[in-house]
Amino acid sequence: MSRSSDGGGPIVWAGILLATCLLLLLFRHVLWLVLPFLCGLVLYYMLHAPVQRLVFAGVSKSTAANYVAGVVGLLVLLWMALALPWVLARAGQWQEAVQHYVQGGVRLLLATVSMLEQTSALLRNAHLSQTLGHKISDFSETFTTTYVGDFALTALTWIPSMLLAPLLAYFLLRDGGRFQRFLARAVPNAYFERTLNLLYSVDQTMRAYFQGLLKLAMLDSITLGLGLWALGVSAPLTLGIVCAILSWVPFIGSIMGGLLVVMVAATDFPDQPWMSYGAVLLFIGVRLLDDFVYMPITVGRSLRIHPLITVIMIFAGGAIAGVPGLMLVLPLLGVVMVIGETIGQVVTDPRLRARHAYARMLRERQAQLDLDR
Amino acid sequence: MFGLRRGGSYFRIARLPYVWCAVPFFFKPADTAGKFARLRRLRLFATLTLRELQVIDTLYHERSFLKDEIIFDEGEEGQALYAVLSGELLVLRRFDAAQVTLARLGPGDFFGEMALLDQAPRQAQVRAATDTELLVFFRADFMHLLQTHPRAASKISLQLARHLAQRVREANQGKRMEGHL
Repeated sequence: MSRSSDGGGPIVWAGILLATCLLLLLFRHVLWLVLPFLCGLVLYYMLHAPVQRLVFAGVSKSTAANYVAGVVGLLVLLWMALALPWVLARAGQWQEAVQHYVQGGVRLLLATVSMLEQTSALLRNAHLSQTLGHKISDFSETFTTTYVGDFALTALTWIPSMLLAPLLAYFLLRDGGRFQRFLARAVPNAYFERTLNLLYSVDQTMRAYFQGLLKLAMLDSITLGLGLWALGVSAPLTLGIVCAILSWVPFIGSIMGGLLVVMVAATDFPDQPWMSYGAVLLFIGVRLLDDFVYMPITVGRSLRIHPLITVIMIFAGGAIAGVPGLMLVLPLLGVVMVIGETIGQVVTDPRLRARHAYARMLRERQAQLDLDR
Repeated sequence: MFGLRRGGSYFRIARLPYVWCAVPFFFKPADTAGKFARLRRLRLFATLTLRELQVIDTLYHERSFLKDEIIFDEGEEGQALYAVLSGELLVLRRFDAAQVTLARLGPGDFFGEMALLDQAPRQAQVRAATDTELLVFFRADFMHLLQTHPRAASKISLQLARHLAQRVREANQGKRMEGHL
C-alpha cells in the first residue's frame, strides 16, 4: 500500500476519531449484523491463503473459492457428525466438571484470603473470608435459576444471525473483487486512481489486522500451552487456545482467561496453592509477552496507530458499545483511518477538485448541446 | 461440488468461457458478447488465449472520458495502467510556458506502464482528444496477475518489452518524444 503522505492533519484525525465513535454507536444498535460480519471477515481472511494458493496453481478465483468452501464445509460437517454424539454423551460429566473447577477456584480464593487474614489484623477483624464464603455460596445457589436460562435463550437467538458468517465469508472469497469493481464504478474519473488505492488499502489493513490477530492467537496458545504443560496443569493446549481467543476481547477477555487458568490449576493441585500462583504468574508473563512482543510484530504493524490513541480508543469503544465495542474499535479505527486519510488527501488536493469540476462542466455542456437551438 | 451447479462437468464448462459469461450476476455488465474480442484487440493482450483473457476479464475497470477531459497529470503518482478501447488521446508535456503535444494514442494502444514497473511519477499529461473509452488496470491487481499466472505474465511482459523497445527505437529516430508514461 502506498500512501503518498504520512497520516493526516489534526482536523482529519479529529474526524477519524469522531467517525469511529459514531460508527460504534451505530453498530451497537445493529449488533446482530455486525458480529456475524466480523466473524465472516475473520473466516474470510483465514481461508484467503488457501484460495490464493489455488489461484497461484492456475485455478480461477471463483472455482478456488468453491473448492476451499466445499472442503471446509465438509470438514465442519464431519467434525460435527463425529463430535456431537460424544458431546451429548458427556454433557452431564461436563456440567460436573465445570462445578468441580469452580469449586477448586473458590477453595483457592478462600484459602488465600484466610492466609492473608493470618498475617493482617485488619482483614481478620473484617471477617473477609467468612463474608466472601457467604456471598459465593449465595451466588452459586441462585446462579442456575437466574442466569443459565437467559444465557441459553440469548445463545439461541444469536444462532440464526451467526449463520450469516460462513455465507458472507464464501461470497467475499468468490465475489470480493467484483464487489470492489462495482463500488469503483460510482467514483468520478478525477478521483478514480486514488479510490482504487483506497479500496486496496482498506483491504490490506483489514487483512493485516485479522491475519495478525490469528497469528497472535497462535503464538499466545503455544506459549501459554507450553508453560501450563511445564507446570503439569491438565489440558494445557486447550486452555492456551481458549485463553488466546478470549484475549481478542481487550481487558475483559484477559481477566476471564486468567480466572480460567487459576480455576483449573487450583483444582488440579488442591493442596499446593503455590502451583496456582505459579499459573497466575505464567499467565501474567504471557500477557506481557503478548502486549510488548507478539502484539507489535503481528497486529501492531498492521494498523500503525499510536499506542496512546489505541488505548484511549479501546476505553472509548468499551464506554460506547460495551464488550462488542472493545472488540470492534481497533479494526474499525484502522479502516476509518485509511478512508479518512485518503479523503483528506483528495479534499485538500485543489488540482483533483479542479479536474473534477472541469469534467462535470464538460458533461453538463454535452447534456445541453442541442438545447440552445 | 459447486462447479457442478451450472450443469455437467466443471472441466467441460471451464473450456467454454462464453457459458461462464452467460451466468447471470448483478455485478456483471450486461454486454458480455464482444468482451474477449475487445480485449484481444488491445496490443498488450494480443497474444493471450481465451482462457487467459478470461482472467484479465476479472481485473479491469471500464471508464469513459469526454473530449478534453484529463486522464492523469504530469508528476502525479501513478496507480494504474490504461488501455484504449475507443477514441483518441493526446500525450502532452509542459516545456517552459508552452504545452507541447508529444504523441497521439488510439484504439489498441496502452499507456501508464511505468507506474506498474517502477512507481515513477507520470512523465506527461494525458488528455482525451475525442470522447474516449478506456480500460483501467490497478497496479496491485496487475502485479497480482503477473505473480499468479506465469504463462500469461510472460506473454504480457514480452508485449511490454516490445512496446518499450519500439519507443526507444522511435525516440532514437526522432519520431516520438513522449518518453514513458
